[in-house]
Amino acid sequence: MHENRSTPARVWLLAALALAAAVVVIIGPALFDRFTLNVLTRSMIYAMLAVTVDILWGYTGILTFGQAAFFGTGAYASAMVLSHLGASPALMVLALALAIIVPVLLGAFVGWLSFGHGSTPLYATVISLVVPIVVTQLVFSGGVWTGSSSGLVGYSGLPLGLPGYFRLTGICLIVTTVVALVFTRSDAGKLLVAIRDNEARCAYLGLNPQRLKIVLTTILAGVAGIAGFLYANASGVVAPENTGFVFGTEIVIWTALGGRGTIIGPVIGAIGIDYLSAQLSGDLPFLWNLVVGALFVVMIILLPNGLAQLARMVLPRRNEEQASPSGSPTLAAEPAGNGSEAGNRVLAVSGLGKSFGSLQVLQGIDLDVHPGELVSLVGPNGAGKTTLLRCLSDGTEATTGTVTIAGQDISGMTPDEIVALGVGRKFQVASVFDSLTVADCLRMARASRNAPSLLRRSATLGLPAAATDILRSTGLDRMLLGRPVSLLSHGQKQSLELAMVVALEPKLILLDEPTAGLTKVERTTIGATLQKLTGELGFAAILVEHDLDFVRDISTRIVVLHQGKLVLDGSVDQVVNSEVVRTIYSGGAHA
Amino acid sequence: MTLLLDVVTTAAILFIVAAGLLAIFGVLKIINFAHGAWLTIGAYCAVATAGLGLNPWLALPIAFAVGAILGGITELVIVRPLYRRPLDAILATWGLGIVIGQLITLWFGRDVQFTPNLLSGTVDVFGVGYSLYRLFAVAAALVIGLAFTFLLEGTRLGLSAQAVIMNEMLARALGIDTARVRLATFMVGTGLAALAGVLLTPLTSVDPNMGVAWLIGSFMLVMVAGSSFSTLAIACLVFGGAQVLVSTFVSPIFGGITVAVLCALVLRISPKGFARA
Amino acid sequence: MLEARQAETKIMAPKLSLSNVSSGYGPVAIIEALSLAIAPGQIFALMGKNGMGKTTVLKTILGFVALRSGDIRLDGASMSGVSQASLIASGVGYAPQEQALFQDLSVRDNLRLALRSDRGFAQAVERVYGHFPFLRERLSQRAGTLSGGEQKMLILGRALMLRPKLLLIDEISEGLQPSVVERIAAALREERRTNGTTILIVEQNLPFALGIADSWAVLKLGRIDDAGDVTAGTAARVLQHLKI
Repeated sequence: MHENRSTPARVWLLAALALAAAVVVIIGPALFDRFTLNVLTRSMIYAMLAVTVDILWGYTGILTFGQAAFFGTGAYASAMVLSHLGASPALMVLALALAIIVPVLLGAFVGWLSFGHGSTPLYATVISLVVPIVVTQLVFSGGVWTGSSSGLVGYSGLPLGLPGYFRLTGICLIVTTVVALVFTRSDAGKLLVAIRDNEARCAYLGLNPQRLKIVLTTILAGVAGIAGFLYANASGVVAPENTGFVFGTEIVIWTALGGRGTIIGPVIGAIGIDYLSAQLSGDLPFLWNLVVGALFVVMIILLPNGLAQLARMVLPRRNEEQASPSGSPTLAAEPAGNGSEAGNRVLAVSGLGKSFGSLQVLQGIDLDVHPGELVSLVGPNGAGKTTLLRCLSDGTEATTGTVTIAGQDISGMTPDEIVALGVGRKFQVASVFDSLTVADCLRMARASRNAPSLLRRSATLGLPAAATDILRSTGLDRMLLGRPVSLLSHGQKQSLELAMVVALEPKLILLDEPTAGLTKVERTTIGATLQKLTGELGFAAILVEHDLDFVRDISTRIVVLHQGKLVLDGSVDQVVNSEVVRTIYSGGAHA
Repeated sequence: MTLLLDVVTTAAILFIVAAGLLAIFGVLKIINFAHGAWLTIGAYCAVATAGLGLNPWLALPIAFAVGAILGGITELVIVRPLYRRPLDAILATWGLGIVIGQLITLWFGRDVQFTPNLLSGTVDVFGVGYSLYRLFAVAAALVIGLAFTFLLEGTRLGLSAQAVIMNEMLARALGIDTARVRLATFMVGTGLAALAGVLLTPLTSVDPNMGVAWLIGSFMLVMVAGSSFSTLAIACLVFGGAQVLVSTFVSPIFGGITVAVLCALVLRISPKGFARA
Repeated sequence: MLEARQAETKIMAPKLSLSNVSSGYGPVAIIEALSLAIAPGQIFALMGKNGMGKTTVLKTILGFVALRSGDIRLDGASMSGVSQASLIASGVGYAPQEQALFQDLSVRDNLRLALRSDRGFAQAVERVYGHFPFLRERLSQRAGTLSGGEQKMLILGRALMLRPKLLLIDEISEGLQPSVVERIAAALREERRTNGTTILIVEQNLPFALGIADSWAVLKLGRIDDAGDVTAGTAARVLQHLKI
């Protein structure tokens, strides 16, 4: 709405830094000797790769050795065009195009391979190891096309000369770095951190983290391809080592030493280490690698966030200033879109069953929930309460029976698709994004409705009134910025998660023990919030809860689960006075 | 006939090389990316043994001891702080691998070294002459496999290790010193890796980076095998077989990546590899 | 004179004492300002509804859940920083509630894992047979294939292998038939009688718990809500706390 209030100081700072860097790059050829220019040109290309690794690993949490493969394919695609077809301007354009397209296609394939439904972070790393190995072997087996083990050499590249290449790569590196900095600090960039922190929560906010990771891998493969194009031109030689996984590990080492998750750190790390390697390895080749290796090990163990972490500990923190109220986003009301008509069932469960192998955890569950109801699900440990919630929020969980939400059968649907139907799930242990701020956590909850900006940090935070109410009543509205969520108290995290779920504007909220570990006051607040959401605003809610006093106070209906079966479904009075419940809770009950 | 022998002996060699990595991954859920460096350490133990004029077979126990001792130090200093950060453990052990590679280079130089053959010549198998040493490798793989099975099923350490694999919390609740079990397992795993390095010397050239070439194949096999030695044996036979076939009928270069590619595909289809089957 | 007095205080001193204990996971406090003392040879029943922190009390004693404040003492000595291995070695037995057996290992291996070496196995296992003779024929069976009641008896039997002086037992009667519950109760009484074992049970089964316990406490939201010695009126009083 009013986004251009003022240009923040950090934008000016970034512009000034970029300009300064550009000046250095332009006048660099006048300052450095040929050897240094040569080395620095290469180092800056490597630094571009380090930026891509940092976005994947430092921000998104995907440890990858595969950028070498994309870099290598880009380099080889260019070199092959230039060697076998020639270097006319048209062919040069073709070389550049192929240097982008081939890695992008490969990246899309690798992304698809790495990030299937339910694949582990380790698997993505495994794939990122295999890809460079495969590419290297393809290069070896390419005969005259790839020059096999000796690589390609002696083709003509861009007619720039050494100073020209230095300036071109320098500008490319500055552009890459600035784009990366702007993106990672934008609203959309926070998505990467959200995925790293808590992928399950992303899915339960209606986002599709797997697809986002595939897109990211694809785009960054293209960037690595451009770096490959530059390399093929500037160095005049491409070799199988440029595609290999050992090179992939080197990029990770530069990123780690510079400081993952900072963009600038990896740039400095890559340039610094590669430049020093070139300078020193002539005199003491093995000792230098030894020192780098040892430093890397020590760093990973003691300073996992690299030299940037050290710098941040030494330098005074500027972040505190940003936390001042003036920088805090204003809460804006979003029109309420909660249009479920009373009377219609929000949820209809019939004959639901779930088994793990021969173990029957749930069987024959029938349950209807209408708008405005607050249904509590109680029962002893192992009764299947949490499993039931899972079956309602993930269409691949149930073994038998049907679950219908807002009239639609959810079987086979993934959590993000079910969120789109209007189901919000609050987990037992507060599931939030630990390294984001309160405002960013809430923005993630709105991301499936309002696509976040790729460029800027919004000054407003649009939330439905119900979510704002929760923030106000718990004081979270005064902590929107300034510190990561990990520093909030347990009760504040629970409230934040509830606000995030409510911000989804669900028709049905599933809550798994929202009061566990809370103080009396916090319980009362949550209870009042839930009653308001259901009684006044027409949400439906299913609450799993151990604290039966709490349940009795706020529920409109209680459902009792015992040994996987629904044994009672009735009003609060009916359940409280039931003989069955008494036996279940005093032990000794047998199905 | 030769093809069949090639399949079996290739599988045996893969098994020998991957066994140490599996022992560590199976119990500790940590991927020792310095595994290649330990293979190299083992091979240089063979070089050193020969240099001292000792019986080349002595290299086996020496390598195991050296590998285990260095492994123990590594577990205490590097791996122990990283059990909760498995991806960082991959990186730290990879860094350690670099360090070891450079130390070996400083000590022995970067040139290829030669070691005396443990066994030379060929034997007749059903009328075909076949390398005696490759057949010996099959026997060695069997011995390692059986020894490990005995260690796991028949000893206290093995029982404790199984308990740690299955349910670490319960193992601790019963008073098992899980830190010691981990240390011992890491030492056995690195000892085995060094032993495998000695066994590799007649088959490959010995240089400071020799281990890296073997690392990825073993790593992928272990990913597929999970934590079971019998599954590892099956995986080695299947993928080793595929490697021999591809090398023979398609191209040796593609043969080199067969194991990695097939393992990656298997893991894509079934994330737990063969362990689920 | 002095020695005699020391001996006297030793007899009077509790086997296990918790004073002002708070604990929990990460920033979450599950147990708050909890104090209790159990005299040597006493059986103490800790009751309460689900999710009130009963299991967390046991896990805090064993050091699985971090102590945030307060003090836990075993025989008068602070237990902070003591590893599980040395706790168990010093005579603490634990029968957990969930995932309490190595399902894929044999009954024998499950029992063996209670000891640090196989030397004392034959002798220790005889003690367990004394309580649960059926285990003698089932040594080679996979623990996961035992029935629910048999598994519970194996869990308890394993905790008795080391002849513990302090037993911590988590919901051992859950889901069991009355006859099995009776066998377990008998085993615990017998163990206390012959060995002087101090026993802390966490329970929801009132008849079982009050049938064997000398003292009791009800936990609510991580605090002790009510407590006392077991008398004729205890059952009605505790039930009042447990019902909805």
